[in-house]
Amino acid sequence: MAENRPILLEAQTLSRQMSASARVADINLTLRRGDVLGLLGLNGAGKSTTLNMLAGVTVPDAGSVTVAGYSLAEQPLQARAALGYLPDTPPLYPDMRVGAYLKLTAQLRRVPKRLVRSAVDDASELCDLTAVQKHRIAALSKGYRQRVGLAQAIIHKPQLILLDEPSNGLDPHQMQSMRQLIQGLGETAAVVFSTHLLPEAVATCNRIAVMHQGRIVASERDTNAGTEQTAKEQGVQPLHRDELDTLFSNLVQFGTPKAPITTLSNKAAQPAETHHEMDA
Amino acid sequence: MIGVIAKHESKQLLRLPVTWVITSLLAGLFAFLFLQQVEVYLSRQAELALLDHAPGLSAWLTTRFVAPASLVTLILGPLFAMRSFSDEFRLDTLALWQSSPVSTIALVVGKFLGVAGVLCGALSMVWLLFLGISWVSPLDWQQVASAMLGLYLLASACVATGLFFSCLTKHAMVAVLASLATLALLWLLGTAAFNAVPVPALQAASLAQHISGFHQGYIATNDIAYFVLYTGLLLTLTIIRLDALRHTNH
Repeated sequence: MAENRPILLEAQTLSRQMSASARVADINLTLRRGDVLGLLGLNGAGKSTTLNMLAGVTVPDAGSVTVAGYSLAEQPLQARAALGYLPDTPPLYPDMRVGAYLKLTAQLRRVPKRLVRSAVDDASELCDLTAVQKHRIAALSKGYRQRVGLAQAIIHKPQLILLDEPSNGLDPHQMQSMRQLIQGLGETAAVVFSTHLLPEAVATCNRIAVMHQGRIVASERDTNAGTEQTAKEQGVQPLHRDELDTLFSNLVQFGTPKAPITTLSNKAAQPAETHHEMDA
Repeated sequence: MIGVIAKHESKQLLRLPVTWVITSLLAGLFAFLFLQQVEVYLSRQAELALLDHAPGLSAWLTTRFVAPASLVTLILGPLFAMRSFSDEFRLDTLALWQSSPVSTIALVVGKFLGVAGVLCGALSMVWLLFLGISWVSPLDWQQVASAMLGLYLLASACVATGLFFSCLTKHAMVAVLASLATLALLWLLGTAAFNAVPVPALQAASLAQHISGFHQGYIATNDIAYFVLYTGLLLTLTIIRLDALRHTNH
């Protein structure tokens, strides 16, 4: 049962003023082990700000985050030890070699000294980096850099993995590998990843939340009982996948989910496989 | 954790060709100044013999060679520290530290020790020069140690200044210029006078005032306390600034 799985992320009423006109508000999320949540939204919807708050990179103006039972505000080191984060721009040092960089990140994430070597090897193998371990990061392609960024996020086998647009710069084959990798990670951890590609979210996640103008405006309803519960906690309408598809289509076309929501019943019969790509 | 960060920081610094270029130039400059002062000392033996308390070779070199070396340190400290945080901003790598189980104190202290370690290592070439001359002339090692202690304390203060300004901007050159201006001001502060009378409060805040004792072989507690407090203050300001960044939209 979903309820038996441990809660690994609990965010309550997270809010943060980004600028005079932009604000992330009332973000409520509960993720259990095995949840792979796709945070879907247009550019500027507040996805990166939300992930930054969940990772402890920025402090919310209001609300709280608990990671694996540790409060990010009161026990920041324990909470951060339980999470792995790949920001929008992978945090890489171009002058370092891949192996040395991963060794550093393993040490920073408190991997025991005797296990550092195997942690580097495991993460390299998972992200297909074994062949480039001795290469300088500056010499790598964008796709490889993205994979190094992902490897640093999972090197310590965190319970919560936060990925900000992890498929940036990847070719279709690499995107497919990334999806499989994220799904694999979701078996032992909770994963949140942001994207502006609906097909990517649909193909990878077992939960989807749509963000618009700093708020979660819809959550997908599927067979996962936890999703509906989360949607209720968020105070948003849980949607079926076809409804979500329609909502997102309207977000892309009209820039607002409101009008489509009023006509969801009329549009629900539309094919669910219509995929839309957001403007980069 | 501080050791891991210090090691990473020093390796980052040593990876830069400019570090080796600066260190090589420094070695050349130090060797030139050192030999020049030895030569001057030897050429003035006749004059010195007439003095009641003529300075020995150690006193001569610490006041006439280590003192100018201190001025060089004022420039080297900011140059070595300028990239510490500026590069983290420029490369968007600060999130790596902020999302890792690393406290801001450990991050700042680690980076400080890494940069200060490399700079103090470079300055340790001065020991080699003294060791070389000790083969042909006995030295007052206590006086030499006193001067070197002053040099290391000054280097620490300069690195802390560079570290602080580097956490304010992503432009390393801006950090260097701001650090140099601050250090120059603090160095010259003691020379300010009101009606030709030095102002004691400004003298007490002056770097030059507190370093001169070390060159003469006097290790005063208040001089040590000045450098330790100054370095501690700048590191604390750096920690406050980095913590504040979590609250701002950077």
